Amino acid sequence: MTGSSDAELIASILNGNVDSFSGLVRRHQDACARFAVRMLGSRVDADDVLQSAFMRAFRGLRGCKDPDHFGGWLYQIVVNECRTYASRQRRREQRFPSSASAIEGAVAPGSEQDVDPDVGGHIERALSTLPTDQREAFLLKHVEELTYEEISEMTGVSVSALKMRVKRACDALRGQLDGVYHG
Amino acid sequence: MGENFEMADREAADDAAFADRIAAPLRAPERAHPSLEKRVMDRVRMEGPALYPQGGDSHESWWWTKRVFEFTPLTGLAVAAGVTAIVALSGVAIGTRIGDRSKDVARITSPVAKPDTIQLVRFVFVDAKASSVELVGDFNEWTKGSTSLKLSGAPGVWVAAVPLQPGRHEYAFIVNGTRWVTDPLAVKSSDDFGTESSVIRVAGSGKSET
Repeated sequence: MTGSSDAELIASILNGNVDSFSGLVRRHQDACARFAVRMLGSRVDADDVLQSAFMRAFRGLRGCKDPDHFGGWLYQIVVNECRTYASRQRRREQRFPSSASAIEGAVAPGSEQDVDPDVGGHIERALSTLPTDQREAFLLKHVEELTYEEISEMTGVSVSALKMRVKRACDALRGQLDGVYHG
Repeated sequence: MGENFEMADREAADDAAFADRIAAPLRAPERAHPSLEKRVMDRVRMEGPALYPQGGDSHESWWWTKRVFEFTPLTGLAVAAGVTAIVALSGVAIGTRIGDRSKDVARITSPVAKPDTIQLVRFVFVDAKASSVELVGDFNEWTKGSTSLKLSGAPGVWVAAVPLQPGRHEYAFIVNGTRWVTDPLAVKSSDDFGTESSVIRVAGSGKSET
């Protein structure tokens, strides 16, 4: 079933072949993992959220109105699960990312000279201090590179409110990273 | 004026460039934990057969919807008394009748009456094979037999309308008198023994969410 489309896999599951769901998990898990890890700042927490999100998607598969766009529908569930999880975590001790090594190893195209080796860690730490709504908006806009309209449809937040959240997130990040990030 | 626009444009361009540089390292790919697929599939195989029985979706599919109508306590009592009879008549028409009636009531009551507002929540459950469906929840003390869903005009479609106070309510369905089923699209709640139920939040303003 690896070559099957999302819609074909979903039809198969609804027909009783629940093992087909593994094809959907395999296909979408890494894309969802990036947002969850960045949003929650912890791979362990992200793993919990992803398991919960996939199970929610499985149980509600009949609610996926457009099976050809299962990925977008699933992503919406992941965003909501992260939001719920983050709100539960808000009062807990702030966690720092365990993914610093991955970030340090990543190089932005054409900007090698701008990033010192510890910048990735600084960025994630700064990101983790943002309010949940600003962090979510920043990640969806600038990391997941969605349009404001797509984010609005996904989150139910108006475009103007999203723009304000992203602007505030940028201002806060700029304030925290001033002197760390050159240029 | 022109200078202001120019400054705003420059600021927006600076912001975009800054955001892009900050975001670039964050776009590095992540890999889900290697055991995620196995853990998910273990649960899928456990829950799957009940959710998606072998042989097709067309005749055995089941789903729930909840529709909320707003009315005042007095009307609520009257409607609650008549709900069973009304519900048995027809599915879509019911919502309209009660909904219209609710609007009439809303027009003649003062907005200050809102905190006392009761919501009529319509539960729909579809299962072609069910011979009986009950609704239990904190609103009926989880008592079996107190809220039975009735077959509507469509085959396998079971419906009940329940007056609920604004606030959080937990509920579940009991199929054929023995099988407890939660709503896959609703928020789940679990008690100390791991028994799951579904959660609906009834707002005072006529909106509800699961």
